[in-house]
Amino acid sequence: MKMNKGVKYFGAALVLYSLVFGLLVPLKPGVLTVSPFNIKTGKENKIEVTGYNTHFKSSSQLEVYLKLDDRQFLKASEINKIGDTKLEASFNIPRFLNSKEELIDVVLIVNSDLDGAIVKPSAVSIKQDSINVSEAQKLVNYIEVPKLSKHNSFSFPYRLILEETIRNVYYHVPLWFAMLVLFAYSVWGSWKYLKTRENKYDHIAVSSTTVGIILGILGLLTGAIWAKHTWGQYWSGDIKQNMTAISLLIYLAYFVLRSSLDDDLKRNTLSAVYNIFAFTALIPLIFVIPRLTDSLHPGNGGNPAIGGEDLDNSMRMVFYPACIGWIIVSLWIADVYRRILNLEKRNLEI
Amino acid sequence: MKAVMHLLNKEIILEWRQRHSLGGIFLYVLATVFIIFSMIKNIAPPVWIALFWIIVLFAAANATTRSFYQESGNRQLFYYQLSHSLSFIFSKLIYNLLILILISTITWLGFSFFTTPMVKNYPLFILCIVLGSAAFSTIYTFVSSIAGKTPNGAAMMAILSFPLLIPVLLTLLKLSAQACRLMNDTGYWKDIVILLSIDGLLIGIMIFLFPFVWRD
Repeated sequence: MKMNKGVKYFGAALVLYSLVFGLLVPLKPGVLTVSPFNIKTGKENKIEVTGYNTHFKSSSQLEVYLKLDDRQFLKASEINKIGDTKLEASFNIPRFLNSKEELIDVVLIVNSDLDGAIVKPSAVSIKQDSINVSEAQKLVNYIEVPKLSKHNSFSFPYRLILEETIRNVYYHVPLWFAMLVLFAYSVWGSWKYLKTRENKYDHIAVSSTTVGIILGILGLLTGAIWAKHTWGQYWSGDIKQNMTAISLLIYLAYFVLRSSLDDDLKRNTLSAVYNIFAFTALIPLIFVIPRLTDSLHPGNGGNPAIGGEDLDNSMRMVFYPACIGWIIVSLWIADVYRRILNLEKRNLEI
Repeated sequence: MKAVMHLLNKEIILEWRQRHSLGGIFLYVLATVFIIFSMIKNIAPPVWIALFWIIVLFAAANATTRSFYQESGNRQLFYYQLSHSLSFIFSKLIYNLLILILISTITWLGFSFFTTPMVKNYPLFILCIVLGSAAFSTIYTFVSSIAGKTPNGAAMMAILSFPLLIPVLLTLLKLSAQACRLMNDTGYWKDIVILLSIDGLLIGIMIFLFPFVWRD
């Protein structure tokens, strides 16, 4: 695609911006681990909290709460700041809790003036030795909803399991978008070739398919690294991983087909036909089947889609520019390759 | 439509004259089935299904590669003058569909002969065979029309068609597992819809693209 110089530089700037900001902006503070996990009623429990990107030691105002339900919070009686990322909080858990269950999952909240409120769901589990709700209501040492402070500096959200790999959203996802755009563009080139039989359209198809395959491989690699961290292994046979492997096989077959034919006209026509046929066969592969089967990816099988809570405004500011930037830059690379093909062709004719 | 019937008739007559090649494919299927069951005595249902479709896949590749290979250059030219491209491809498509249904039925019979019957829901499994054969024959017919023009057709056929067949195979595996009551999914009609839409999509794009291959 012939592009304005300004558009090219704009795309490159967007990619650069997404690389720099995507890697430099810190994550919001979060709680990594809480130990011990099991605590008991009727005695003082010491809990050790390990934070991530937190400033426990330097914050002047620090409170730790255990949230039993929406209206009942237990406040830590004593906090021992060990370091910026480590603290020890003591809780006096009353003998009876206002709940009929033996085991209660409790949310831990660390509230500080520097880090804002950090929430860790299912942080500890309290075991009641005996249940007595009416007695529990007499032992009032609960407090109402505490006043929580807000974290102000510009940062990306901290999510459990994802942690720092949340930045991969800016690299893994745009690569797929760019790949799809290039494959669609190459189908357009093939279609124009069949209509006009002009070599330049064949060059468009070949160049964008080549770059598309490279992007696909990169997308697969970035995805595999991400999967290692979040799902535990590089390849988990997830439906989307399988479908990607298949589509790469299809496009590699396209190049085998091309190299097996010597006659120019025959090669260009047949590969154009196969390109369109393969892309059509890919449509159910990419858009339909993954939506109907369980997948580990977000947006499938009960997993939340990217967007909503996971993609907050700070991430949108990097994610959308990254998508646009990668699409422009990959079209640019394909265009350079197309020009090389054109020149080679002209060289051969001379 | 009349042209399609005539061409189809011609295919069947030609096939009947060369009975040995079709018989060869059936023998190939039966021999494979026999080899499998002499190697594995007690076959588990999931393996049964997987092997069934693998045998159909390879036998179908063998059977359909011939559909464009046996037409020499001169004969192609003859057809080109006589008939419309679409009636030509449709006659091939229907012919391959019939052959594939025959191959899968024979494979199924062979499998049932050697093991206890695995299929519980017969209508669903027959539907699987018909829809699967339709998708296989569409992809194989079209790809063999491309591969027939390359120097190493048989290898090309496998390279070009197998990746395209994987989504069909995966859906078929799920549906046949349903037919064998290996899993109980009330939403299996979704898989039928997927197969139908893949078939429709592929036939549509084939109608659209074949004239370009044909003219060449």
